[in-house]
Amino acid sequence: MSVAAALHRRPRLRLGLLLAPPMLWLGVAYLAALAALLVTAFWTANSFTGEVERTWSLENFRELFGIGVYKTVTLRTIGIAALVTVVDAAIAFPIALYMAKVASPRAQRLLVVAVLMPLWASYLVKAYAWRGMLAEGGLIDWIGKPFHASSPGFGVTATILTLAYLWLPYMILPVYAGLERLPTSLLEASSDLGAGPATTLRRVVVPMAMPAVVAGAIFTFSLSLGDYIAVTIVGGANQMLGTVVYANVGAAGNLPFAAAVAMVPVVIMLLFLAAVRRTGALESL
Amino acid sequence: MRRIGAVLSAALLALAVAGCGSTGGGGGGASGKFTAPDVPMKKSVGKGEGEVDILAWPGYAEDGSNDPKVDWVTPFEKQTGCQANVKYFGTSDEAINLMKSGGYDVVSASGDATLRLIASGQVAPVNTDLVANYKDVQPFLKDRAWNSVNGQMYGVPHGWGANLLMWRTDKVHPAPDSWGAVFAKSSPYAGHITAYDSPIYIADAALYLMKTKPSLGIKDPYALDQKQLDAAVGLLKVQRAQVSEYWSDYLKEVQAFKTGDSVIGTTWQVIASLARSEHAPVKAVLPKEGATGWSDTWMVSAKSKHPNCAYKWMNYIVSPQANADVAEYFGEAPANAKSCKLTSDKSFCATYHAGDAAFANRIHYWTTPIKQCLDGRKDTTCTDYSQWTQAWTEVKG
Amino acid sequence: MNSDLIFYSTVSDVRPSSVHAGAGPEATDTPAIELRGLHKSFGPVHAVDGVDLEIRDGEFFSMLGPSGSGKTTVLRIIAGFESPTAGRVRLAGHDVTDRPPFARDVNTVFQDYALFPHMSVAGNVEYGLRVRKVDRAERRRRVEEALGTVRLAGYGDRRPTQLSGGQRQRVSLARAIINRPKVLLLDEPLGALDLKLRREMQIELKQMQRELGITFVFVTHDQEEALTMSDRIAVFNDGRIEQVATPVELYETPATTFVAGFVGTSNMLEGEAARRILGEPGLFSVRPEKIRIDQPGTTVDAGRCAAEGVVEEIAYLGSTTHAIVALGTGVTLTVQQQNADHVDSALLQRGRAVQLSWPRAHLVRLVATGESHPGDDPTEVESS
Repeated sequence: MSVAAALHRRPRLRLGLLLAPPMLWLGVAYLAALAALLVTAFWTANSFTGEVERTWSLENFRELFGIGVYKTVTLRTIGIAALVTVVDAAIAFPIALYMAKVASPRAQRLLVVAVLMPLWASYLVKAYAWRGMLAEGGLIDWIGKPFHASSPGFGVTATILTLAYLWLPYMILPVYAGLERLPTSLLEASSDLGAGPATTLRRVVVPMAMPAVVAGAIFTFSLSLGDYIAVTIVGGANQMLGTVVYANVGAAGNLPFAAAVAMVPVVIMLLFLAAVRRTGALESL
Repeated sequence: MRRIGAVLSAALLALAVAGCGSTGGGGGGASGKFTAPDVPMKKSVGKGEGEVDILAWPGYAEDGSNDPKVDWVTPFEKQTGCQANVKYFGTSDEAINLMKSGGYDVVSASGDATLRLIASGQVAPVNTDLVANYKDVQPFLKDRAWNSVNGQMYGVPHGWGANLLMWRTDKVHPAPDSWGAVFAKSSPYAGHITAYDSPIYIADAALYLMKTKPSLGIKDPYALDQKQLDAAVGLLKVQRAQVSEYWSDYLKEVQAFKTGDSVIGTTWQVIASLARSEHAPVKAVLPKEGATGWSDTWMVSAKSKHPNCAYKWMNYIVSPQANADVAEYFGEAPANAKSCKLTSDKSFCATYHAGDAAFANRIHYWTTPIKQCLDGRKDTTCTDYSQWTQAWTEVKG
Repeated sequence: MNSDLIFYSTVSDVRPSSVHAGAGPEATDTPAIELRGLHKSFGPVHAVDGVDLEIRDGEFFSMLGPSGSGKTTVLRIIAGFESPTAGRVRLAGHDVTDRPPFARDVNTVFQDYALFPHMSVAGNVEYGLRVRKVDRAERRRRVEEALGTVRLAGYGDRRPTQLSGGQRQRVSLARAIINRPKVLLLDEPLGALDLKLRREMQIELKQMQRELGITFVFVTHDQEEALTMSDRIAVFNDGRIEQVATPVELYETPATTFVAGFVGTSNMLEGEAARRILGEPGLFSVRPEKIRIDQPGTTVDAGRCAAEGVVEEIAYLGSTTHAIVALGTGVTLTVQQQNADHVDSALLQRGRAVQLSWPRAHLVRLVATGESHPGDDPTEVESS
């Protein structure tokens, strides 16, 4: 009673108590982890035991920028992430447009469930399902047979396909939300002013949905950038930044170097976010 | 301004947290001959703690879940009352990391992991007097460089074997008998070759070069100077262009051979057996160049929560029957000399040269490469494991 | 939702060139818009239930009715946003029923303006020209001209979000008229504006319509707005048209109880009351301002009807005063008196016995609108 009364008289204290746990979580678990990562990147690991030695050095970054393979891996990773994003945008846009502007409310609800459904299944199950489909004599080979096409096999293409499948819902949902916010009267106005469907799409729908597409791209791009599981399952012999991090944490036991590599996607993401900030995509997240 | 303050304080907090972690493990690992950190050894084995957390190579601790006929964990649990929790790992590096993360009592460590585990203080010396079955272990496996320091055993030998060459009999003709099949410049099987995904695989290339290019002067595939390492990496890069995928998950390799995505590559006997049991037309041989291989040791974690059960497990797994079961299932020579009488295939030990010390010495067991050349060269420095890791990343590209 | 309409299966992408011939000689006899037997159902709801209508070339035509009466649906059918369940739409004699909006020579001013937020004002205004590939110089000239017409010269570089509601309305207008359509459809365009701005815009719209010579089809639920601006008005109720007439006809001689009630205020006399007071049965209406209030027993001129009653309530409204007079048999009439100096204000007292009279010519015989009659009190219906 008296505590409640005291809290009632002190709204600031009340607010403080209310916000402290989530802020603590955000501060410690998130920012601190990132900061720790940054700090670790400047340490080195004992090459034999893998124990971290806390002496400051730029050795990791010198290695990272000095050895050609990391540039290759970084470029490959960015390329894969970019292509995954493009593929997802290309697939998601018509689906989201149909959901938002054509489907009946009932069909709309069903489609949202259908889009969300794959998220309920385990990542690994889906990735291994793709491994099965892409394998020799798998589903893709079987479908392609009449057209003399065959599975691309395990590799970059397979990785892009798999990641594009895995992250598709993260693109569809923001684009759908964005298109749903798009007033139907704008489409009518465009048509009324003499624009055919293609022109309306190009001049009104796409530009107005762009922030939502970019919002979705933030998800697909960053998720692809950090992925290391799909590429180990269907990527054949290819490495991405995530696998290099994993190899250095897991195999080499070189945590500091892994931290340095892990900073690369962080930096790429920051640059990406800075670039998309002006599109207003951050507001439509 | 306030936001910058928040970020700064978060960063400081992180420093403080990081600053009070454990102090680095001792052991000047790079010095070749090292003094192991002082970890106390167990004096007696008491009553079991009820469970034991086992970190093992796939196939080392089967409880019947993969194949109901293959089960030696359940008898162990019945005998000792120690519930066994098994976690499999795919590479030595993974094992070391899992050990560092804690939570495991015993680990089946290969030669490229043992010294690193000892040096970083992850494992305790083993009191072999407390392991009744130790007396039956083949003498040539005791007090070796990879399982002891200054005459003190750090584990119980488990078994040893060679990395084999496996191929799909329906796709690969003629049957290969040389590692050249996976290192050839333009292989007819390009795009369907597989290799083990670990820096230690560099030794396989070095071994092949040791036999085929004597001019390089390689005497030990784990003692490579920079020039020799470059040659091995060069060979592996040629191979990389023809590799469909690298494997470290043994089930992934089984599946790849089943579908035909991989038709030839390095393997373990257990994988070949598994693939055959799933009706994949595969065969595996020890190629004429010899092979890299492993000699595994059960070690006890320095931070073990169930040390009594851990000792009971070590004693059990090297007991004649269990050791025979594991060896036959995994496809390796058992460490226990008495196991040979208990295998279902009576010629098994002969096939795997179980008692043949000379043969055992011809296999190039996985060892952690260090700066001091393991082949005894004093005039040069060799490449260490971190350089191998680096090189492996470059090979994969 | 109904956006299957936005991605129409198009019949023809090209506008009929004959429509572009401008306000030519054909204008006189061919109606600008001709609706025949129009029906539109949304599931079980009959939004439009048999509409026939001809809108003359160059007139300011209003479609008036309460919400849900079908007027907006008819407008959307003319624009092509909805396709009728049955019936035909002809624009300048050409059947356009199956044509998508972009192939009809009409433009629409939307209730919510529907300005493209990602384009500048000029970008919005020139949109129609742009999609028709009009060259840049011509576009710029006509944008300036159109913005001048709506008194927004110099606003071209602004964003729609930087404008007030009235300014957005003008941009929306400029965007439509720049295409020089034969018909401009306006869907409650002034609904979102405050009263003062709305009055100004009403006058401006009317002037603009006269200057441009475009046929305006104006949808509103505001009877005063419709009366002020229109050449002719169609009153909608329940998916049907009750009456099409000029504002004066509509007000002076409403055809149905609904029109009489919806347009202005009417006193209704029917049944027993009608026979007693008027001497004949039927349904009649008389406007409050047509009724004179006198001392009881005052001589009634020939051609006037009269009745006696007691003032029940008085409402002073500045320029006028409303009196509610009970005629003793449960019937009350509302009387509106100008507060001019010749009026005997002594009569406008609660409880005074008075005599009411009105010219027989202003007594309008109505057709019952049946169940669609808004409100149950037969004697007095107040419109919004």
